[in-house]
Amino acid sequence: MKNYKLFIRSMKVMGKRMYLYLGAIFVMSVTFSMFSIMSSLLMKSVVDIAQVGEYQKLAGTIIVIVVVGVVSLLIYRIATIRYNVEAKRVYGVLSEAVLEVEMRLPYSYYEKHHSGEIISKILYDLAKMGDIYGSRLRRVVMPFIQVVVFLIPMFLLSWQLTLCLVGVNAIMMGLEMMMLNPMHKVSTELSAINTKMTSRLSDLLQGMEQVRMYASGYKTIDEFKTQNHCYAKKSNKMILYSACLESGGKGFELLCSLVFLVVGIYFVEKGYTTLGALTAIYTMYGVFSFQFLQMGRYIPELVGCLVNAKNIFDFLDEAREPQNWYTDSFAKEKYIKKEFAITINSVTFSYDGENAVLQNFSLQVKSGECVAITGASGCGKTTLSKLLLGLYPLDGGTIIINGLDIKECHLTALRKQIAYVPQEPYLFNGSIEENIRMGRPDATEEEIIKAAKQANAHEFIIQLSQGYQTKVGERGNNLSGGQRQRIAIARAILKDSPIILMDEATSALDNESEQLVNDALKNLQRQKTIVMIAHRPSTIQLADRVCCMEEETSAYQ
Amino acid sequence: MGIQMRKKIFVKCMIQYGWLLLIEAVLAIIVSYTMVQGNKVISVVIDDMLGGKEVLFASFVIQFLIFTAVGVLASFIQSIAALKYGVYTCTKYKDLVVEKLYSIEYKYFDSNYVATLLNKVIGDLGEIAGFLESVLPQMISNIIAIIIYSVYIAQLNLGLWIVIVVSYPLIFWIANILVKKISGLQNIFRQKVDKMAEIVQDAVNGILVLRSFGMEQIFQKKMHRAAKELVENEEKRTQMTNTSMVIRKVVQWLPNIISAVYAVYLVQQGNISLGGLVAFILVLNKFVEAFIELPFCMVDASAGMVCIKRMEEIFDAKEEISGTECVPMEVNVAICFDKVNFGYTQDNLVLQNLSFEVKKGENIAFVGESGGGKSTIFHLLCGFYEKTSGSYQLMGRRIEDWNRNALRQQIALVSQNVFLFPTTVEENILYGNPKATHEEIIEACKKAEIHAFIMTLPQGYQTIVGERGAILSGGQKQRISIARAILKDAPILLLDEPTSALDVETESSIQDAIGAVMAGRTCITIAHRLSTIVHADKILVLKQGHIVEWGTHEELMALGQVYAAMYGEANNEEL
Repeated sequence: MKNYKLFIRSMKVMGKRMYLYLGAIFVMSVTFSMFSIMSSLLMKSVVDIAQVGEYQKLAGTIIVIVVVGVVSLLIYRIATIRYNVEAKRVYGVLSEAVLEVEMRLPYSYYEKHHSGEIISKILYDLAKMGDIYGSRLRRVVMPFIQVVVFLIPMFLLSWQLTLCLVGVNAIMMGLEMMMLNPMHKVSTELSAINTKMTSRLSDLLQGMEQVRMYASGYKTIDEFKTQNHCYAKKSNKMILYSACLESGGKGFELLCSLVFLVVGIYFVEKGYTTLGALTAIYTMYGVFSFQFLQMGRYIPELVGCLVNAKNIFDFLDEAREPQNWYTDSFAKEKYIKKEFAITINSVTFSYDGENAVLQNFSLQVKSGECVAITGASGCGKTTLSKLLLGLYPLDGGTIIINGLDIKECHLTALRKQIAYVPQEPYLFNGSIEENIRMGRPDATEEEIIKAAKQANAHEFIIQLSQGYQTKVGERGNNLSGGQRQRIAIARAILKDSPIILMDEATSALDNESEQLVNDALKNLQRQKTIVMIAHRPSTIQLADRVCCMEEETSAYQ
Repeated sequence: MGIQMRKKIFVKCMIQYGWLLLIEAVLAIIVSYTMVQGNKVISVVIDDMLGGKEVLFASFVIQFLIFTAVGVLASFIQSIAALKYGVYTCTKYKDLVVEKLYSIEYKYFDSNYVATLLNKVIGDLGEIAGFLESVLPQMISNIIAIIIYSVYIAQLNLGLWIVIVVSYPLIFWIANILVKKISGLQNIFRQKVDKMAEIVQDAVNGILVLRSFGMEQIFQKKMHRAAKELVENEEKRTQMTNTSMVIRKVVQWLPNIISAVYAVYLVQQGNISLGGLVAFILVLNKFVEAFIELPFCMVDASAGMVCIKRMEEIFDAKEEISGTECVPMEVNVAICFDKVNFGYTQDNLVLQNLSFEVKKGENIAFVGESGGGKSTIFHLLCGFYEKTSGSYQLMGRRIEDWNRNALRQQIALVSQNVFLFPTTVEENILYGNPKATHEEIIEACKKAEIHAFIMTLPQGYQTIVGERGAILSGGQKQRISIARAILKDAPILLLDEPTSALDVETESSIQDAIGAVMAGRTCITIAHRLSTIVHADKILVLKQGHIVEWGTHEELMALGQVYAAMYGEANNEEL
């Protein structure tokens, strides 16, 4: 009963609003069947009146029925609105939950998983899961409640006949349920192909420049097409199942009429029921049977969506980055003696557990000192900066930052100590101002401008036609690499952390920009502890001390 | 329906698999027909019963079973045709979209986010598939059912038929108003979903910055706002649709009541039998069902139309201009710019009146401030953007005349932002030349000073490069991209700061490698570190989109202006 558990969990996502949501479905179903019953009563009374010939009653009966019908509809309307709004609300809540997890996964997850995979979660799985709330569940529950509502008058009219009809319908539904497992399987497969397709597509879009520059870039498109056709092929199975359900339903509709007639006539002849009741049951039975079949049809679809829900739940259950890699129970931030801003004590680290990237690496940086870390490309400089940010657990040794032991403090507290400027300055969608403000959300406009000035970015920003409000495009062609980097530095300055960590922040800059950045750094020297990974002599020159990392990494200074 | 008929590509796909739709329509007729016939049998039986005649089970059961068998079979094939139609059309459409994305104007990606495009191709196409697989067949079945049932009712009694036909158009009028409003709100809904996808994508791509700055709250708030707007939009939408729904349902009862009363009147007059009345009511129910569904279908269809329209926006985007010339001319001048103006936006020219010439085999360098337009020149040469005015030629042919793919075959570009595909190292390098042998790959890697490193990876050349390339440092990625360019073996080499992410030692050794590759080729280098370009045949100094100085290193130093100042500054720092 894994599906059952998934379903319960899907409902629990709503919290207390679940009751409102389910209540809305219930009211919708009841009022809607009331309306349908009124419709068939209308027909029944027409037949009765025609049979008996009491034509004067016609007007009165019709008015009563119409009034009840309209009132049901109005209640139905209110319930439907609630229902729709709640359904979208859950979708929103789930999106937020997915985003929350997405941002808090251990860093290694991002390096192992394609971003397309994560995007696919939102676009495909979440949308399908949203369908559970938006339509799938209602399509199963509403018929069920309606069937129950219909059963009452039908039983009252003739319980024998009704029982027979329910029996026949149950057989059909049983047959439909047999489709459940195969459909579930195909759904899972389709979802997997979709993820692959999204990954290919996102490769294509993100690597558009390379794809176009190389003739073989077209391969990405071919790969997408292969997946696309594979999807179509797999869909064929789904089509077969759906067609079975569809045609089975149609055939059953006719077959049921037959059973109804045979049994009905038999019962009338035996005197178990009257002809009037038979017609009334028949009109109701039409709706009843339709709803019953709907239930059978939509349960497999609901189950199909539960597969997507499972993908989302699996994602939500991904281990998040812990507050600390080593211990769950730690006292409030414990500050150790603060002689050094950074103490790295014989740290050993490897990504795969075999090839150590850092071995017994030690380094101490005094407060207010400016240290440059150099070394051959690939010797672990960037890894070191990732370790300082607490993105990975250490295999051995320890790091103490501003008196905070990496093994004993909140990672967020640790990261507050460091303003990081990465090699590739990532700018988020939005304006330049928004991007700088991300360093400290409550900063005033003056502070932002001040930070931009310190980063030597203010000059060029005000020359842009929209100044600080200029939108930073994904590709950001309006801005050169140096300009982007200076915005990233302004962001780091605004953060106002005691330590600034720069990972080859100036390597992609031209001399002029580099000079501007270096001037900015000079402004910050002594006020901040600066650790820069760099290899340009001009940048290294700024440092009080140079630490050179070597392949088998113990540093010499 | 308020949506212009400009869905050319989609219509094309729809027509291509039109035969499936035709099969479906024919079978829908058969299905409806058997349903009517089945009901006819029932009405005859009821009439017989009411008339006190003996009912012969055997005769009608067989008749009935035949109808059922035909109905089931027809309906089975009908649904297969309908679903296949949806899948085939969408698969084709998806193929076309991706191809379109490949040939679309490069500029398009400046203003359209990756997440939005992904959402369109994955999300909107899903909606369109739903439209084709369920809404469209439903519409067809309903229309056919309405026609067949109305023929049946007309046969029963013409007066009844007239009553129905007169009283129903009202419903359509209401449905039409509804459809317009809903499609507007549907559009807003899709945009909100775009927005949410953008946030998600932004968070993934910028995770390193996001995490180190602790920006989780900011993004959470953004998403919360987007989700809230989604709910607000839904509130508006559902209120509107449901109010109209109530009105529609009530109005819909009207013809029901009118025709039922009229039918009773006919029975009273003795124009139709009681059995006929029952049959009429049964058919009327089905008829009404189809009628109720139809406007519903129209509403669903309009949601599908919005998605189609969003997809067609991609198809409407301009494609890259591509000429027919595929072979370079035998000329001395490899690249020639003549008074070229260019800006990414209209009000901001990045290149102004730019003119220069590069002879075949010449090695020139661009230097200048960041934002001065150096990379832009490369973008123009690779045909990613089109000039605003002026003209430029490559290998003697105007850029407009070149076939885009042939043009790009002439150029090996090592750009600043290296993108590696999430596949093996070898495959990434193979992009340069898919026909290269393993030896050639190793050769290229050795030249790019990356072979030794690759050999230390656990699976060597077969190591999968993650999207984020955790195992590779910036310098290693850069060297792989250089190896890729070496393998491409194109006559023109464009190097956009090829060594920016390298340490000094690797840089000098790779500089030698680049020197070897440059031999015999036309080469343009963009460099920040002036030491790397001292030996260039010509150095062009770019400032705010103009060339302010040009000449060899010695000439420029002798000139003693911009370049000399830059060089002096850099030298002070570096020495």
